[in-house]
Amino acid sequence: MSRRDIVVGLALLAALLAVPALDPSRYIIGQLTLFFIWATIVTQWNLVLGVAGIFSLAQTALFAFGGYVTGMIGLYFGWPLWFALPVGGLAAVAFSLLIGVACLRLRGAYVALLTLAISQVMYLLIITDTECFYMDGVTCRNLTGGTRGLTKYGDFGFREILGAQWILGNYYLGAAILALATLASFIIIRSPLGMAFRALRDNQVYARSRGISRFKYQLLVFAVSAFFTGLAGGFYAGHFKVMGANTLYLSLSLFLLSMVIVGGVGRVWGPLAGAATLMIADEAFKEFVEYRNLGIGAVMVLFVMLLPKGIAGTIEDTLLPRFKRAPKGEGQETG
Amino acid sequence: MPDPLLALEDVSAGYQGNQVLKGLSLAVPEGALVTIIGPNGHGKSTLLRCVSGLVRTTRGTIRLRDTPLHRLKPNEIVAAGVVHIPQGDMLFPDMTVRDNLLMGAYLPAAFANGRQRLEEIFVLLPVLAERRRQIASTLSGGERRMLAIGRGLMSVGRILLIDEPSLGLAPIAIDQIYAAIAGLKRSGRTILLVEENATRVLDLADMVYLLDNGQMVWQGAPRDLASRQELLATYLGG
Amino acid sequence: MDTFTQIVLSGLTLGAMYALSAIGLSLVWGSLNMLNMAHGALLTLGGYASFAAITQMGLPLFAGLLGAMAVGLLVGLAIYAAVVRFMLTDPAFETNIIVASFGLAIILENVILKLFGAYPFTQPFALKSGLYIGAVHMPYQNLFIIVGSAALMMATAWVITNTRMGRAIRATAQNREGAELMGVSVNLVFAQVLAIGGMLAAVSGVMLSSITTLAPTMGYDPMLKAFIIVVIAGLGNTMGALYAAFILALFEVSVQYMLGVRFGFPALLLLVIIALIWRPDGVFMKPKAQRQ
Repeated sequence: MSRRDIVVGLALLAALLAVPALDPSRYIIGQLTLFFIWATIVTQWNLVLGVAGIFSLAQTALFAFGGYVTGMIGLYFGWPLWFALPVGGLAAVAFSLLIGVACLRLRGAYVALLTLAISQVMYLLIITDTECFYMDGVTCRNLTGGTRGLTKYGDFGFREILGAQWILGNYYLGAAILALATLASFIIIRSPLGMAFRALRDNQVYARSRGISRFKYQLLVFAVSAFFTGLAGGFYAGHFKVMGANTLYLSLSLFLLSMVIVGGVGRVWGPLAGAATLMIADEAFKEFVEYRNLGIGAVMVLFVMLLPKGIAGTIEDTLLPRFKRAPKGEGQETG
Repeated sequence: MPDPLLALEDVSAGYQGNQVLKGLSLAVPEGALVTIIGPNGHGKSTLLRCVSGLVRTTRGTIRLRDTPLHRLKPNEIVAAGVVHIPQGDMLFPDMTVRDNLLMGAYLPAAFANGRQRLEEIFVLLPVLAERRRQIASTLSGGERRMLAIGRGLMSVGRILLIDEPSLGLAPIAIDQIYAAIAGLKRSGRTILLVEENATRVLDLADMVYLLDNGQMVWQGAPRDLASRQELLATYLGG
Repeated sequence: MDTFTQIVLSGLTLGAMYALSAIGLSLVWGSLNMLNMAHGALLTLGGYASFAAITQMGLPLFAGLLGAMAVGLLVGLAIYAAVVRFMLTDPAFETNIIVASFGLAIILENVILKLFGAYPFTQPFALKSGLYIGAVHMPYQNLFIIVGSAALMMATAWVITNTRMGRAIRATAQNREGAELMGVSVNLVFAQVLAIGGMLAAVSGVMLSSITTLAPTMGYDPMLKAFIIVVIAGLGNTMGALYAAFILALFEVSVQYMLGVRFGFPALLLLVIIALIWRPDGVFMKPKAQRQ
């Protein structure tokens, strides 16, 4: 981890912790909390895509899986969400291993299509879930909540502690999860494991001769990313108090993928830059409800056309060396 | 010397900042067989790839008579009359021998009488006639090279660029390939041929260039090369 | 026996539509290494173009189909000219084009929404009545879908196999540099491929909406199925995509009849994953087919 990264990281963390002191509206706190969730998923997806080189589109499936497991444990076993949350994360790990064993040995584009299909199947199974699992008074409830979504599993209990300021509890919890996820992604990108992946990508023959097993490392990174992604899912469930199949919409998945790519695939700061950019763009277009999606679509197209290395990639490779003579090798993570 | 058909002047090129060709010049007169020899990895293939536009030049000019090739895209260069029979053959592996050959006559000028040329190629290279329905990826190394040459001959080119025709082939196959090339020379085709193993080509060539480390170090007639012991020792292994 | 006939007929109808859209995807993938996320939107666009021509402009039925083909072709071309062309040299093309084409899908979907609204329409391109095979009712529309798709696919296959353009498309897919050395303008080929892919998607959109309904998001599901078919056939293997479409459609319909509609797609996916573990390059690929 370079000094620059530590400074940037601490400054960002300090800024996020200080935001509530400015007494912003609940809407802003809510949007920032949502940003923490998306950014957590995006940092992990960046590891999968940009570091491990797995062309997976199942990241939101892992997210939803973590969220549903957390919610179900809260609902059916009556556990407090604080305990259900890590279980949700671990469940996402188990799910990722299953997907990984089935798909990761395949060629890149096949992985993309199969993982996309897995998310879609999960979505279809949930929205077509009409069987009664239990009766809630006179209404019939499905195991997964079906189209109505899973509810009534409680929350993180900040209402009892913080009263009207409960949302700040969620805000800080979300920030903590994002900080942990970002730290984990740093460690992986800058660690020997990250090096091993660069070796794998740059020189397959060398890597094989050193006995580096691509599959084993890929599975490892996929599982680590699944843990934090699952945590984000559990946190989402606890924050919104409803877990629905809308978390599995293709549009959400590709919106988050766009964040990864707009930010800069494989770059340390890419995910945060990408998530922030697209959420701000989304926010800006809210004024023009009619053209919101149209605008998002155009932003996505224009970004990949004009900045194919993403924001972080362009800054690291083009802008920084121009302004100050950056030491050679910096910002070359992705080769 | 009369105005050459193909002329390279002061050409530089490379891959990602790694300069391979360092300001070299070369002329191929109409109807001649010019050969470039030199050690591997010193830019022979890159030179041909520059002529056919697969590698962009960073400096210098490449002209086919009055056409500035260095400004054109690969397909436009082919249309101008440059036929490149590349290293590794670059066949279309899942297509039949016949379809591969027909691709050689893709451009309108050649396509019009493509069927007729096909029959001519089958006469010239009978091994291809036997295998016309076979999928290219199932051919032997020698047959693939024949197909690559046959495919090159399908087009209406003014100059043939041939890259290492003997590379990786058994001696018998090399004999066949060189017999075919000798036939082309007799019929008056202009040929620029690159070869690492120079012993075969010296009998055929009108003019020899020695390429070393991205630059031309010697040029002249093959018989003059034979008297230059030091060059023979360095570049042809004595 | 009637159940069997029903399964076969539904499977054939479904398979024909899947095949039509899978072939377009497969061609585009094979030539450009492009996962075209806008494929679903092209499908939707085709359905609406036919609706606009027949219902709104009062043109005869087959003008609807032709109109859809023309719109699909033009939008395919436009996607190439406005976006793909500029991204081809990008080293991260394969990932970035997913985002770009998805952005295009969002744009197309919203244009449709603006022009037609979110209200689901009935596809006017539909033949009335039908015939009986045993006790099973076979609507003429389904028959048309099977025959029409087969005809269009055969025409496409013929063009790809026997024409100068088709050979250039295959050559570019198999060896891009090799094709350039034959004088092929790969830019032209890519434009042609996206146009053909768009046209096929548009037709399959007309057919699909004729037995369901027209809605701005109708394209996603069939696009995903087409993706799966393309994967199991082996990316870029166009003939394999044809077989896979029919086999998978029959399988899906059978599972739907036996286990319930909701398990059709999951069972399909499971089958595909097992098949790919068995043959990682696609079931219909020659095991050692090498790409250069």
